[in-house]
Amino acid sequence: MAIKGLITAIKRLTRSIFSPSDGPSSHNFQNIKELRLTFQSRYLAFRRLIAANNRALTLMTDMEEKLRGTRPFGMSYIKATCTEITTQVYTMVQNLNLLAPGKYGELFDTFESIRQKIQKELDSTELNSLSDGASRPLVMDLTDVSSDHADLVGPKMANLGELKNRLGILVPEGFVITTEAFRLFIEESGLHEEIARIIQSADRNDMDDLYRMSTRVQKAILDSPVPEQVKLEVERHLEGMKEKMGPSIRLAMRSSAIGEDSKGVSFAGQYRSVLNVSEDFVFNAYKEVISSLYNLTAITYRYRHGILEEGLAMAVGCLAMVDAVSGGVLYTLHPFGNEDVLLINSTWGLPKAVVDGTGRFDEFIVTRKRPYRIIEKQIRDKDRKVMCLPDEGICRVKVVETERMEPSLTDEQITDLACMAMKVDEHFGEPQDIEWAVDRKGRLVFLQTRPLQSIPKSGSDWEAKVEGTVILQGGNTVSPGVASGPVFFLKRYADLLRVPEGAVLVAAQALPVWASALQRAAAIVTEEGSIVGHLAHVAREFNVPAVFGISGVMEILKEGQTVTVDAHRCQILEGEQEGMAVHVGGATGALMTGTPVHNLLSRIAPSIIPLTLLDPDSPHFHPKHCKTYHDITRFCHEKAVVEMFSFGTDQTFPQKSAKRLVTDVPMQFWILDLDGGFGEDVEGSYVSLDQIVCKPMIALWEGMTAVPWQGPPPVDTQGFMAILYEATMNPHLDPGLSSPYSVKNYFMISRDYCSLQSRFGFHFSTVEAYVSERTKENYVSFRFKGGAADLKRRVMRALFIQDILEDYGFNTRMVEDSLEARIEAYSEDIMFGRLRILGYIIIHTRQLDMIMTDLSSVDQYRQRFLRDLKELERGRTL
Amino acid sequence: MIESIKLLVVDDELDFLETLMKRLRKRGVHVQGVKSGEEALECLGREPIDVVILDVKMPGMDGLETLKAIKAKHPLVEVIMLTGHANVETAVTGMELGAFDYLMKPMDIDELLYKVQDAYQKKMLHETRIALRRKIAEGGNEDEDK
Repeated sequence: MAIKGLITAIKRLTRSIFSPSDGPSSHNFQNIKELRLTFQSRYLAFRRLIAANNRALTLMTDMEEKLRGTRPFGMSYIKATCTEITTQVYTMVQNLNLLAPGKYGELFDTFESIRQKIQKELDSTELNSLSDGASRPLVMDLTDVSSDHADLVGPKMANLGELKNRLGILVPEGFVITTEAFRLFIEESGLHEEIARIIQSADRNDMDDLYRMSTRVQKAILDSPVPEQVKLEVERHLEGMKEKMGPSIRLAMRSSAIGEDSKGVSFAGQYRSVLNVSEDFVFNAYKEVISSLYNLTAITYRYRHGILEEGLAMAVGCLAMVDAVSGGVLYTLHPFGNEDVLLINSTWGLPKAVVDGTGRFDEFIVTRKRPYRIIEKQIRDKDRKVMCLPDEGICRVKVVETERMEPSLTDEQITDLACMAMKVDEHFGEPQDIEWAVDRKGRLVFLQTRPLQSIPKSGSDWEAKVEGTVILQGGNTVSPGVASGPVFFLKRYADLLRVPEGAVLVAAQALPVWASALQRAAAIVTEEGSIVGHLAHVAREFNVPAVFGISGVMEILKEGQTVTVDAHRCQILEGEQEGMAVHVGGATGALMTGTPVHNLLSRIAPSIIPLTLLDPDSPHFHPKHCKTYHDITRFCHEKAVVEMFSFGTDQTFPQKSAKRLVTDVPMQFWILDLDGGFGEDVEGSYVSLDQIVCKPMIALWEGMTAVPWQGPPPVDTQGFMAILYEATMNPHLDPGLSSPYSVKNYFMISRDYCSLQSRFGFHFSTVEAYVSERTKENYVSFRFKGGAADLKRRVMRALFIQDILEDYGFNTRMVEDSLEARIEAYSEDIMFGRLRILGYIIIHTRQLDMIMTDLSSVDQYRQRFLRDLKELERGRTL
Repeated sequence: MIESIKLLVVDDELDFLETLMKRLRKRGVHVQGVKSGEEALECLGREPIDVVILDVKMPGMDGLETLKAIKAKHPLVEVIMLTGHANVETAVTGMELGAFDYLMKPMDIDELLYKVQDAYQKKMLHETRIALRRKIAEGGNEDEDK
């Protein structure tokens, strides 16, 4: 052992890391200790870089998945993921610069410029809530409202103002507490942070968690005081109302949220309205309404529709309560009927029972053109109705016997209603969904109008005949389609938390709160409920087959029983019927595509996901050519491996430098112990296998040596010509000309980490693995590139390997003949099995590219591979 | 290694603080908790702490200010930032100010513990090296390393 070499090495090292005053050789032992410390620090930096690399790649894969648009995510997902990836990439840059001080400083600049691009996109979406606050009123009288004020009063109240002030339609007196007041409330109560924190935590599909979070935010809102300025303004407007209408006013407080009427998104019934509120409780009711912005149904609904939480605000309409004789909902275009009729659902008392799906109602079909002919009347037994209580609140009361079967609207009222509704339809230029009431004086009052959600055109799938034993029949088609699944009863709120994927939901009433379960459901049936109610909207939006008003479902069906719902024929059939695909609501189409959240992610992703730096040997492989976060991670990773290895070999430090592996395999392997990969101190320049305690390396080695290589495959003439051609065109194929790194096959190991860089024949491969009890950090990655044959054959070989690896659960990515495969977060045993497989593959695919066009021998090889791998995967337990 | 780590958790959200401390204690970590940046600095002045888990958003002195103060007065102490409010800008600022890592709530407790161990290892290596250098500078020649 050359002691002189050691001293030289230390001298060299001390010059860079020690202060000049340190003595050169008299402190050998301290210096050795220092050197070992340096090595340990470097290994820590290296390990952190690798861990950050893995995490970043996992996040990018997840982001790619989200870009497909089939899984819901929210703004907070984007923020959290961007933040985390940024942190990981920064960690990599930082640690690479620890490994090679001063060498890659410009990576920080590259990183920063990419980060700023991402930041710019993120900033562009956040609404500037503080701008010109002074000029925005906290409360607005409905007389002053038109569609121009949608930002301030929410679309629902803006529409109502339009009806009143532009169309002269009778709507209730009242005023609107604006979104500006909402912002002030959130700001003064300091809830902004709280809400952001909670929403971020909830950006996962965990219903329990979401429920907890939602409860917390709502409680926080209810516990906060309404800002003094808002109070004063509201009181002033209340006085004004009293002057007009007499001293004892009652209000209907209705939500009107920004974003409620985004295209194709109805928010039906997601937010709360409080009816018949007395003056004393206006502020409580106000808080109740705005807190509903964060109820479970609303959060999941927004989340699934990709609605940004940022800029979310709610205005609240305070309207004189209409003590209705009858009321209901009108669609100016029948959702399933032919194109020239409109639909009215009507009941005694307040329209609430129709909207909430909690009561029975009459149905009228009327032509859309003058003279508004009534085509069909269905008068149902309306046994209960919702009424205003004298002081405050509402209640459900029995309808007197003689009125139950009476039509809740006269023919004249029907025609008048149709006439007014069509005026609204024309004004807005699209079909409307109108809530209306008839007051004590017999006048028609419009309470709300919004665009009618478009209903998916009937597909042929539900027109197909469904055969089988019919268990129940009846009710109305609310959302067409056919689906099967196990019955799941929705009885209380808590049931929402345990809805199984693909269930047929069964409920007594079509309550709006059930909406949050629809995404997971195959179908929904209820005993009561209306085609125009909230839940019906959501069922259609999620394309979940639904039948409402089908009697007996709660008694006759059994929990867990498999049934088929044919919503078109309003039938429930036994079992899962032949030839029908199980339809799960959420699985239809790319539901996120085109949503604001998805658009934002699509703008950010190009700065993160693409990999443009492919070839580490190219002069382009340089910090200034890193265009994305992915490029930076790739660059850092590559350079970190090189830096680690060159540090080991540059120093002829005995305990740590690369040693040659003693083996009977006819190949040379060099091993660099990073930290604890050797079980004992190893003297000299050789190390034997039994001195190695690095488990991932042992597993890999087992795979490499389990079956002896049978030599190159017999090559057909064409394959040989392909090699000759490639060899003359590509001088790098001459092994004699390779760089120092490619002549050696070298392992870097620690106790839990192993990387193998190798060149077997004409291809390069890298295996890298970290396997320990930190299951989530475990990974095995594999890179494979090159070959001696022409590109076509090399690509075919890479495909051959890709095929096999995918069967073993690897995620793979191929660009030309370069293959990357990764597997993550499995337990040690599984990871060791995968390493044995990789070991086998890197040895036995040598020169296989040459025979890749010979299909029969490819197949022969494949069979042999699969047989051997099956054995190897099981392996011995290490 | 876990038993020798002295950990300080700083978070104004009491529920969170208490749960986290309980769970960390169950795993054998010596952990203390305080509710604000000011208290954290006070604690650091009083007791030897290796690693600080620091909430980003706090009333009074916020996370970044606290981090700055910690790094100025106790440069060897490693700080892991924790936030419920993801923000790219703050994350990078925190890292530039010398935070060991920047994690998002809610996080897996074991993951957090790994980070704490890594941070602790970094601190130990750092301290050992400083001690060694001092020894070399003083011309000491004793050797525990064979």
